[in-house]
Amino acid sequence: MSIKTLFLLMLAPLVLVTLLPSKASAIPVFARKYGFECTMCHSTYPRLNDFGQRFRMNGYQLPGMETLEKDITETSVPVAIRTSAGYNNDNFDSTQTSNVDVNEFQVNGVDILAGGLIGPDIGFMFVYPPEINSSRGVAGQNGAIESANVIFSNLGSTWFNIRAGKFEPAYVAFSNKRHLSISPYEIYDFTFPGGPAFSDNQVGVEFTGWGRDGFRYAFGILDGSETNGSDTAPSDYYVRAAYVFGPGEGQTAGQRIGVTGYFGQAKPLASWQETDMSEQSFDRWGVDASFNVEQWNLALQYLRSNDSSELWNFSGNVPYSGGFAEVTYTPTIKFAGFTRYDWVNASSILGDITRWTVGGRYYIEDNMALHLEWSRRNESDLSGSDINETLWTARLDFAI
Amino acid sequence: MRRLVLLMIVLVGLALMLQQPKLLAQGQFMANTLMPPVPIPADNPQTDAKIRLGAQLYFDTRLSADSTISCATCHDPRTGWANHGKTDTGIAGQVGGRNSGTIINSAYMRYQFWDGRAPSLEAQALGPIHNPIEMGETLENVVVKLNAIPGYVEQFQEVFGTDVTTDGIAKAIASFERTIISGPSPYDLHLMGDDSQWTSAAERGRDLFNGKAHCSTCHSGPMFSDQSFHNLGVGFDGENPNSGRFNETNDPADFGRFKTPTLRNIALTYPYLHTGSEQTLMDVVDFYNRGGIQNDNLDLLMFPLALTQQEKEDLVAFMESLTGTIPEVPIPTFPEGPGLPADPGGGLR
Ligand code: HEC
Ligand code: HEC
Repeated sequence: MSIKTLFLLMLAPLVLVTLLPSKASAIPVFARKYGFECTMCHSTYPRLNDFGQRFRMNGYQLPGMETLEKDITETSVPVAIRTSAGYNNDNFDSTQTSNVDVNEFQVNGVDILAGGLIGPDIGFMFVYPPEINSSRGVAGQNGAIESANVIFSNLGSTWFNIRAGKFEPAYVAFSNKRHLSISPYEIYDFTFPGGPAFSDNQVGVEFTGWGRDGFRYAFGILDGSETNGSDTAPSDYYVRAAYVFGPGEGQTAGQRIGVTGYFGQAKPLASWQETDMSEQSFDRWGVDASFNVEQWNLALQYLRSNDSSELWNFSGNVPYSGGFAEVTYTPTIKFAGFTRYDWVNASSILGDITRWTVGGRYYIEDNMALHLEWSRRNESDLSGSDINETLWTARLDFAI
Repeated sequence: MRRLVLLMIVLVGLALMLQQPKLLAQGQFMANTLMPPVPIPADNPQTDAKIRLGAQLYFDTRLSADSTISCATCHDPRTGWANHGKTDTGIAGQVGGRNSGTIINSAYMRYQFWDGRAPSLEAQALGPIHNPIEMGETLENVVVKLNAIPGYVEQFQEVFGTDVTTDGIAKAIASFERTIISGPSPYDLHLMGDDSQWTSAAERGRDLFNGKAHCSTCHSGPMFSDQSFHNLGVGFDGENPNSGRFNETNDPADFGRFKTPTLRNIALTYPYLHTGSEQTLMDVVDFYNRGGIQNDNLDLLMFPLALTQQEKEDLVAFMESLTGTIPEVPIPTFPEGPGLPADPGGGLR
């Protein structure tokens, strides 16, 4: 399919939205199921509010209303599509090479989502980005399943829930999939060559529990094979504990603090490390906090890593650390503004990364946002060279 | 292949778009519906004679011990078929513990009373008569008193084929209550396509109600009630909070839970909550915006909402748009009999 055709087709729903009379705000899976606005679960989509967070924790059931729930055979088609399109200006300016300026109008990512209940206390979530070859105007994506998991909730009490399949593990305190910015959380993406990004969805089993006292736990076993370059599936383990002060989940109400530990095994990337191909260990330790005052949220993450030297082809263990501090202001359901400082301190291996991001989203409709963002990233490596990337983007993000 | 997949996506997308309003309206929790016909129980069909009899009993003060109080004393037609006292004042000036619910549309509610202790209007109707602080009479005595009034005996014979019985009293009053139904509100008119009384504030409020403020999770369906019970912490800031639904079920999970009341005509029936502790709709919205009142059994849907002043006002505007036309019922003339006379004013204060 030519880019032009694809683009026009992506645009068609938009045109329809503006043409359709009355309030035809298009609403994805869950909202459609219940007849809710997106803002029921999202402070400003895709960010979850406390209601949405509890809905997710409760296995895609409204907390306290499990007996009223209907399964997918009794509700509307549980399918939604999410995409965004817009203008990017990406400028790379390095001390070593000459300035590169990329200007493009792009369709970025198409996700097909499905979710709902298979039966009482059995929820599922499915996210599939179909394969798209990158070409001018269309960002490529491979067709792997991003999420496909089943959650068995309230096994005896809210203290016991099991999620299995491919999912976003609970140790990711601030979802990389549901944050407002286009620019990523740097520390979540930083890893040894061929390793799993901290925030990647993984295949495994996760046990979670939560109570009215504010305590939340999660632990899980992951088959780390997909992302760490081994076919023998070394298993990774993780634990997380969090506590919320005051009513809420710390998303937009209540104050949350959390600690996370991740213990992984991986084989070095063959092209990187030729001598020792045995399994090596790596671990990550994190603390995080999310504070809320009125319409303001402050999100803090600090993560420390310790990778065995073979994974980096270095001598001695390789520690690095980093984090971010993000402020989000949501004065109305129509607008959200955010700014974030990201840093990665990996001076013993690669160098340091810092990033500043400022952006805002204006919601034309419940399910359609105009996104404006500026982000500047600096990477200084050991050789002393500096790469600066400045990203400007303006796009339309919508879900149907 | 790739082309096909993409084409499929786009087609599914378009189909979803076009189906949107329909799919949305079918949403399980959407409060977006008109009121269905009044449910009538099979063992108590509506008849004109029964409704007329029920109206007389409803306004007749002789159902109380000292002939001063009728149902209408507390459920006054002039004040939204409820009253504006924080809690109610019954016989001999005794003050009860709960704010009176409205009679309007009570026919649609699965449970009666804040704790749902009566499963039907019939089961409810006798309660106040022998409640010592409401009408303070015994049921035996009411039956004796009414059987001494020829006008009532005649009507009971006509309607039920018996003398006055407690069962008949309950059924007649319930039948009358089933006629106290509000007419279309600005919101209903909006749903029917008439926007003459619909405002943009109400529209924004509706979206908040059904979104950020998540009111419609509990206040769902045509009556804006899930016909269930929740703990908002009402009364938990004082001593000895009422245990609510727990009184009925003895289930610890029900501690402090109360019935989700209808929000139709809510602007008329202040003060609010079972304690009558909130005076205005804005006060109630503030209560929710604070996340209710903390307690061990607080509903999981209660937490601060971070609503702005504008958003609060919009929510109030939406609730105000739920006021329909209220039936006006003239105070009936009462059959005469021995003993204390009926208050010709129907017990209204
Ligand atoms: C002294 C004042 C008083 C009198 C008299 C009185 N009520 Fe009530 N009524 C109340 C109060 C207070 C409540 C709420 C009590 C509760 O829920 O526990 C109530 C609740 C109700 C309800 C349930 C409303 C709801 O939303 O759950 C109905 C129906 C009702 N009364 C009908 C009657 C009838 C019929 C009579 C006459 C036989 C009557 N009441 C007499 C005070 C009164
Ligand atoms: C968790 C379920 C739940 C949610 C969410 C909820 N309500 Fe309520 N609502 C109730 C219950 C239960 C009561 C009665 C509580 C009591 O008196 O103890 C009530 C009472 C009320 C009353 C007073 C009614 C009366 O007759 O006194 C109003 C007004 C009201 N709610 C409006 C709202 C608004 C506006 C929202 C959204 C901001 C909302 N409710 C969200 C369950 C809920």
